[in-house]
Amino acid sequence: MILKLRRTVVAYTLLFPSLILLGIFTIYPILDSLYISFFRWDIMSTARPFVGLQNYIHIFTDPLFLQALLNTVEYVVFFVPIVMIVGLLAALLLNSKVRFLSFFRTIMFLPYITSLAATGVLWQWLFNDQFGLVNYFLQAVGLPSQDWLNNQNLTMFTMVLFGVWQNLGYVAVIFLAGLQNVSKEAYEAADVDGASALQKVWHITLPLLSPTTYFVLLLSTIEAFRVFLQVYVLYGQTPGPNNSGMTLLYYMYEMGFNDYKMGYASATAYVLFLITFIVTLIQMTLSRRVHYDQ
Amino acid sequence: MRKTPIYLFLILLAAFVFVPFLWMIITSLKPSFEVMTKIPIWIPQPIRFSNYGKALSSSPFGTYFLNSFFISMLETIFDLTFGAMAAYAFARIDFYGRKVLFLVFLATMMVPGEMMLVPNFITISGWGWTNTYQGLIVPWLISVFTIFLMRQFFLGLPQELFDAAELDGCSHFRILFQIIFPLAKPIWITAGLIKFVGSWNSFLWVLIVANSSSLYTVPVGLLNFTSDFDTVYNQMMAAATCSLLPLVILFLFGQRYFIEGISRTGLR
Repeated sequence: MILKLRRTVVAYTLLFPSLILLGIFTIYPILDSLYISFFRWDIMSTARPFVGLQNYIHIFTDPLFLQALLNTVEYVVFFVPIVMIVGLLAALLLNSKVRFLSFFRTIMFLPYITSLAATGVLWQWLFNDQFGLVNYFLQAVGLPSQDWLNNQNLTMFTMVLFGVWQNLGYVAVIFLAGLQNVSKEAYEAADVDGASALQKVWHITLPLLSPTTYFVLLLSTIEAFRVFLQVYVLYGQTPGPNNSGMTLLYYMYEMGFNDYKMGYASATAYVLFLITFIVTLIQMTLSRRVHYDQ
Repeated sequence: MRKTPIYLFLILLAAFVFVPFLWMIITSLKPSFEVMTKIPIWIPQPIRFSNYGKALSSSPFGTYFLNSFFISMLETIFDLTFGAMAAYAFARIDFYGRKVLFLVFLATMMVPGEMMLVPNFITISGWGWTNTYQGLIVPWLISVFTIFLMRQFFLGLPQELFDAAELDGCSHFRILFQIIFPLAKPIWITAGLIKFVGSWNSFLWVLIVANSSSLYTVPVGLLNFTSDFDTVYNQMMAAATCSLLPLVILFLFGQRYFIEGISRTGLR
């Protein structure tokens, strides 16, 4: 009893810096942003009246927010499956006892460790309407070049392409780790039965990989809902032509740090959090039904 | 022979990822008249290294690099120290509230960081810390991910090690810093690399908190560079290449640790 008390004192001494910092900069903000979301809280004025649910009502009646919601959902719908399929493909290829594995892995991982500020500038140049590499390639295969960054119908495409390029290596590395946990015996049995490579992938690898797959699904969905900086850097600190790249988080940023409506921005942050949370919950419930445990 | 299609696909994927970087480097070495051409030029003639000099001297990139190093280093050192202390407590000491507290720590990882932007900005400005180094650094001194990673490692160490140290009358602090810390080298390299890279690359908080260029980090400097010089793509690419270089070098040296850390938990 006394010993445990003494250990508790030691433990909290060790935890002290983390507790303080986490308390002030993570836990308090989570509660505080809920609180101020019920106020009209402009940084410019000292009057901060309580407005109840007004911020939330405003959000859902603002056409720009609805556009941001639609854009974000569209991004999730395209980005998540594409990055997962390409990432899985990359992982499967890397896992098939190829030479130069670490070379390929390093290359694919590079975009993930580079700052969006730099890669955003880079992709601006690649998407340049007259002299960009993307248009050079299109012309080389006989397709018309596009005004990528000024045509609102192409904004989603540029966002998804940029996003997949950035995250492909990360997804592949997680899939690769999952693949290396799949037991060898299952394959040996299949070899005895004379299964083809594709059959093995379909009937053994994919089912046994499903825990990793769901993990990647959750992770990339949460990531995708937070899409913002990609647009911000690619479109020169604007939400794209005609707000075609406006996303939920971009909307929050504009409200908070352009208009300084902190209460309104906090309400937006909570709406975003709730949407992500609900989608995650749905995915988790669904995944329990089709889950294979190793 | 059987593996030809595999290599073909791999090379295709690698090209998709790498050609943009290659084009960035090629562009950065071109004389201006070769940058905008109807037909792409893949080999610059002549090679202009001077683009780098021009790009770096056109804005105070020296300051930006110093700021980035200073901020990332400081955040990493504190993160590792505080993280190791917390992880040790969670992994090796049986105390009141251990389970609940660890769950709370883990739960904070699920909340998107952007939710904290507004309240943290209010906190920081309330303290008069906008446009200061402490405002940029202090909110990021610890990451739960580091604590989590280190705790896993400490849990795996043999109990005898701790018993022996305790028999010799070592305090928990001494056990942690003199015995465990040297042993935990792989994990603090992993955690440190991930923290350093994350902190080097992040720029949203800097954009919000810093409003004078003397506090800018490399990514923010780069963003401002592009809005200043809209069309000088060779210099822009030179600046971008420079901004990536320190991280790429760091990554190449530590990639084993880095990728292990990422794939072990799959979280940042």
